[in-house]
Amino acid sequence: MSEYFRKYIKKEHYPNHQQLQRYMLLVLIQNLRLHLETAFQSKALKRRQWKEVEGDDWDIMWAEKEWIHEVMDHTHLQPNQKINHFRNHYELTRKDLMIKNLKRYKKNLEREGKNEEANNYNFFPQTFHLPSEYPIFCEEFKRQSQNGESKTPWIMKPIGKSQGKGIFIFNKLQSISQWKNTLRFNQEAQQAEAYIVQKYIADPLLIGGKKFDMRIYLLCTSYQPLTLYLYRTGFARFTHHRYDNEDISNTYVHLTNVAIQKTSDNYDEKLGGKWNIQTLKLFLMTKFGQEKVAETFYNIQMLMIRSLQAVQKIIINDKHCFELYGFDILLDATLKPWLLEVNASPSMTSNTPIDFELKCGLLDDVFTIIDLEKVLTGNEEQIGGFDLVCRGTPIKLPINSTFTTYLGSFNNRQQQLKKIAKSTAIRLAQIYQETQTKPIDNGSKNQKDEKEKQQRSTSKGPQTIQNGINNKLGMQPKQNSMIKRNGTNLPALGTIQNKNTVKRQPLQNAVQLQPPQIQSLNSNKKINPSEEQILTVNQKLQQLTQDNKLSTFQPYKQQSQYNDVMGMSNRNIQRDEE
Amino acid sequence: MQQLDNQEILMKLKSSKQFWDIKKKIKQGFSDQQKIGVNDIQKFAQSCEIEDQLIKLISHILKKSKKRETLKEDQIEFLNTSKIKWTELLFKNLDIVHQKTKNQEEDDTNTDSKLYIYDEKNLLAFLQTFKQQQSNNLYQNVQFQSNKILNINIPLKSSQSILDKYQYLLLQEELSDEKINKIRKQIENEHLDIELEKIAQTFVPNGERCLLYLKYFEFDHQDTVLQQHFVKLQKECLNQLFYDELLEIDGHEISEDTFYFVFQEQILTCLKCFIRDRTIKENIRIQLQSGIKKEHAEFQLPITGFFPFKNISKYVAPLCYLSTKIHIIYALFKEFFCRYFCFLHAISSESNSILSLCMQIEEIVSTRSPKLFHHLKVIGCDTLKLIIHQLVYCFIGDMDPPHILTIYDQIIGHDSLEILVILCVGFLNKYKSKLLLAKNQENVQQIFSELREDRFQELVQYAYKQ
Repeated sequence: MSEYFRKYIKKEHYPNHQQLQRYMLLVLIQNLRLHLETAFQSKALKRRQWKEVEGDDWDIMWAEKEWIHEVMDHTHLQPNQKINHFRNHYELTRKDLMIKNLKRYKKNLEREGKNEEANNYNFFPQTFHLPSEYPIFCEEFKRQSQNGESKTPWIMKPIGKSQGKGIFIFNKLQSISQWKNTLRFNQEAQQAEAYIVQKYIADPLLIGGKKFDMRIYLLCTSYQPLTLYLYRTGFARFTHHRYDNEDISNTYVHLTNVAIQKTSDNYDEKLGGKWNIQTLKLFLMTKFGQEKVAETFYNIQMLMIRSLQAVQKIIINDKHCFELYGFDILLDATLKPWLLEVNASPSMTSNTPIDFELKCGLLDDVFTIIDLEKVLTGNEEQIGGFDLVCRGTPIKLPINSTFTTYLGSFNNRQQQLKKIAKSTAIRLAQIYQETQTKPIDNGSKNQKDEKEKQQRSTSKGPQTIQNGINNKLGMQPKQNSMIKRNGTNLPALGTIQNKNTVKRQPLQNAVQLQPPQIQSLNSNKKINPSEEQILTVNQKLQQLTQDNKLSTFQPYKQQSQYNDVMGMSNRNIQRDEE
Repeated sequence: MQQLDNQEILMKLKSSKQFWDIKKKIKQGFSDQQKIGVNDIQKFAQSCEIEDQLIKLISHILKKSKKRETLKEDQIEFLNTSKIKWTELLFKNLDIVHQKTKNQEEDDTNTDSKLYIYDEKNLLAFLQTFKQQQSNNLYQNVQFQSNKILNINIPLKSSQSILDKYQYLLLQEELSDEKINKIRKQIENEHLDIELEKIAQTFVPNGERCLLYLKYFEFDHQDTVLQQHFVKLQKECLNQLFYDELLEIDGHEISEDTFYFVFQEQILTCLKCFIRDRTIKENIRIQLQSGIKKEHAEFQLPITGFFPFKNISKYVAPLCYLSTKIHIIYALFKEFFCRYFCFLHAISSESNSILSLCMQIEEIVSTRSPKLFHHLKVIGCDTLKLIIHQLVYCFIGDMDPPHILTIYDQIIGHDSLEILVILCVGFLNKYKSKLLLAKNQENVQQIFSELREDRFQELVQYAYKQ
């Protein structure tokens, strides 16, 4: 966002107002530093003009999981410092613990009599922990083979490893006893390596005869209340070989991990064997019809929320922490989603230009949501490509909305960011004006709430920017909510004033220097300073949101259903703007 | 012509919805009477036009049972000789391609990925030669002033009638859920071609398209037959053919399209089976190349009776969005090719043939946008050269798959390729303002090399803009 923000305040809107501009830039570039522990895409940082630093003086830490375990427990964090993992994130991201927690949560729900909700926890295959649950597993295996289900294969996954290492599939108990024996008789291995064994989903949905899974990103900024943002774009990873249910020894056929597929002979570098979620959705819609696909995508969203709800009480909440999860989800032939794994450090490397753009955008939006610059109101329902899907409880989209989830719909992050940048810039300008003229005056609470509502509605939805209305609206004074914010949670302002980098100026002069729109608005203010004026603002806001709805919330059918995924109309608008 | 006995006609009748509607009507008409005689029914049927409906229904069934003969000879003699020339030309090309592949085998470093027997530009260039030929033959009849590339005396539909035919597309509205569900049910219950065509003309809901196509092609209860046929063909693929190599090279282009790369393997398998399928020669509606027997065994036409051409994979690709079963994809592709796409490669005076379509486009553009037509002529980039790729490949690769399938719907709906004329005209109109500014061929190429998004509905709208 900061990119647009900077452009916005630099270029057009406050050309004569040098000092205001300087002030806003100061708010923005608080010399943010980022402590990097991992190899990382630095372009996303450069776009934000952040610096990479060494040492302990940092604002945001993008660390590897191991660092958290080693260092975090005995480090005191400054109030403004942020870290990209929760202390015990492994409760969700280690394969065995995730299953354990999901099972436990399901049992708790059953115990509380919430059977309906408990039944929703059916998105993970039957799983056992080895070696601890080996006897139970053997029993189950034998029972199933007696029932004639012997052909269903099982998959063994080592707990600690990632990128598909050490995974194998089997359908005879012998192959696993062999594995057991080698470990038992191997003196050098101190302990039998922990594995989980899962019933293999043998009828996955195949596209082009190939198996695929989906990587979807979910950002958690807090566990209390559970605050989750879902990224609109993800991707589907294809195997490079035709799927064959019989041949269980060939890992290329069964594992979709890029790390595995890269080693395959016919790996296509240009496309990397990936589709983005939008293309996948388009395919599914064409093949299965949009109702079924809408249901599936909604189920995916709920699956993700439910898995976090399952660990909500276990994870140690910390206001310093946030976490970007990469969910691996598989669809079976009936379009039922299955949770394969949750990654706490989803790969941020890219193998194609599209991939690169996706991940840069993703990171940039994560940083915007973390809001180190402290410019957001905290009520935004969409920030960049992220949509708020849960705050305490899962957020339901309005009944009249044609969407069940924004997952896989057109990622309009750029327009949306421009919009946020604009409204934020206006707000900050207001704060600036207010601080220049009069002492802080807390607006009445009602007014403040109203304003916040407006804020929410303006930054919502797949919107098209309507410059005409926006300009008119954008210049409306919003002093009440500003002052409140100014008084309470905008520390940056105080420091700047102390430093005296910005000269105080009487309002009259400021008005003279401002562009005509603001002048007219200020005169408006003089004439009508009461609540009526707020009403007109309200009306205009309503008008804006309504217009937005009209232009984008078309029924999810025919042409528009397609546009929602591929974002045609939006794309055109974007092009026009450029 | 194959004859049906009464029993078979009745069977077919029973599978149509209209038959049951008629029966219901008759029952209602006699609800209060105890005894009903045959004469009563006949009288009643005559009185409320039921008889006409029944006759239409039966004649339709009979018409369908009549096997379509492959068109071999054209009514215009000069096109027949042209076809032979075209075939000879292709044989020559085949020789060259063959030579090239041989050279490549010897020298691995110089791999030419552009190996094909002919592409759309070759085809257009060949069609262009007709003008001079015909003007030599029929000196007086040809207008010398014409700017058109193609100006041949073949029977053509008036371009206005085509424009009128598809005008209803402009008025299409978004349908309510209720209506869509109704259409869904209709597709499931309906067996009659006319009705299915009507649905295809207006709107096919996603998810039901495959069923509609299968029903229209009468494949709906033949899943196992199709599968067996396909498996048999797949076995034959084990014997390598020279053409396989060409198909593999052809597949590379499709693999660079984001929408289709996943299907590359399936597409290749389909095509390999296609060139081995003996039933195509009987089913194809028009003979593409006049079979001259050459003695050298290596240089025979494939079993299908025509050469695979460049980008043949494109015709298969969008169908991959309809089914996950490869034998279904293959069956649909085969039927689409044999019924419709073959005309895009046929030297013929048929109304669907590439020649007719091209002439229709020239006619419409030259009358409705004479300025553009003239401008393109002046800068040496004729109208047809601009759109020949889109025309021959049915906009595949230029539009996203859902839009391509809408085109397919229209093709089925009208049993005709004329929709492509509308779309090509719309395509030119869309870029008209830019094209008018272009000063040379490079400019024009630049316009089309930019990122662009063409959509079905949009192009239709542009087509009717004056």
